[in-house]
Amino acid sequence: MINHETELRLQAYLDGELSPGEAKAVEDFSNSDADARSLFEELKLTKSLLAENELEVRLPESRGFYWSKIQRQIEREEKGQASEQAETAATSWWLRFLAPAAALVALAVLVVVALRAPKGAEALVALDDSHEIETPLEETSSFSFQSEAAGMTVVWVDSHRE
Amino acid sequence: MKKIVPFGGISLATVALFFVYSCLVRSGSTDLALQAQLVWGTNNDKPDDPKLKEVDAKVTERLRTALKWKNYFEVNRQNFIVRAGTPKKVKMSDHCEIEVENFGNSSIEVKLYGKGKMVVKKTQKIKPGELLIFAGDDKNDTAWFVVLSQSEK
Repeated sequence: MINHETELRLQAYLDGELSPGEAKAVEDFSNSDADARSLFEELKLTKSLLAENELEVRLPESRGFYWSKIQRQIEREEKGQASEQAETAATSWWLRFLAPAAALVALAVLVVVALRAPKGAEALVALDDSHEIETPLEETSSFSFQSEAAGMTVVWVDSHRE
Repeated sequence: MKKIVPFGGISLATVALFFVYSCLVRSGSTDLALQAQLVWGTNNDKPDDPKLKEVDAKVTERLRTALKWKNYFEVNRQNFIVRAGTPKKVKMSDHCEIEVENFGNSSIEVKLYGKGKMVVKKTQKIKPGELLIFAGDDKNDTAWFVVLSQSEK
């Protein structure tokens, strides 16, 4: 069983980060200890797999130009967000103002149009133009009909006489 | 945060204005001059009571277009004025009476009484030239009518 310190040293050896003396000591240890050898082989295999399968990305332009492009893009998006926020704030203020104002104007127009008809014409909405009929007596019933042609409304009262 | 425009106040004022305007419109017209005729309809050429005279030809024609009887004779006629908010009772015969209430803007409520009991109540507008008729059948395939209209000025 190897400790964490030894694991780190094995990893460092594999990555070529140790001095020649340290490297020699680690190499000797890994040769003599089966666990250390096993871990070393595992790390070596992992490294080889990563190295072989890692995609190599090549920049189409110089490094400086590439990063300056990213910086410009970030700045552009920040400016866009700021102006969008300002625009949204202005729009919402106008909406807050216009929506109730428009509703009030519409209500006022409706009231005027509905209740103020030209002389001799029928108003669009007559508040008191109700047609109600009521027959309180049980032995009596009634119904009404309207004749547009004759310009009359007839309320027929039926007293259920035999 | 202080409101830029006091919408609550404006809304309240608009609603108040609406009701005030509605009230003004409703109380716009005051007195209503009406005519009530008690009419007897029959298919006979002559009335049972020879004193009865025929209803005005124009009204008769209109009655004939909507009702089945051939001839219409006037039993009684009353011209009266109904003030807004003051119901008016008008006696048409010994057994028949009407009570009219003026709601303004040509809107009226008519109660028809028979032998002192309210038989029917009707609420509607009555425009100049229009007829509001209460009717019922009578013996020997005859009928009675109370014809209400705005008086001609």
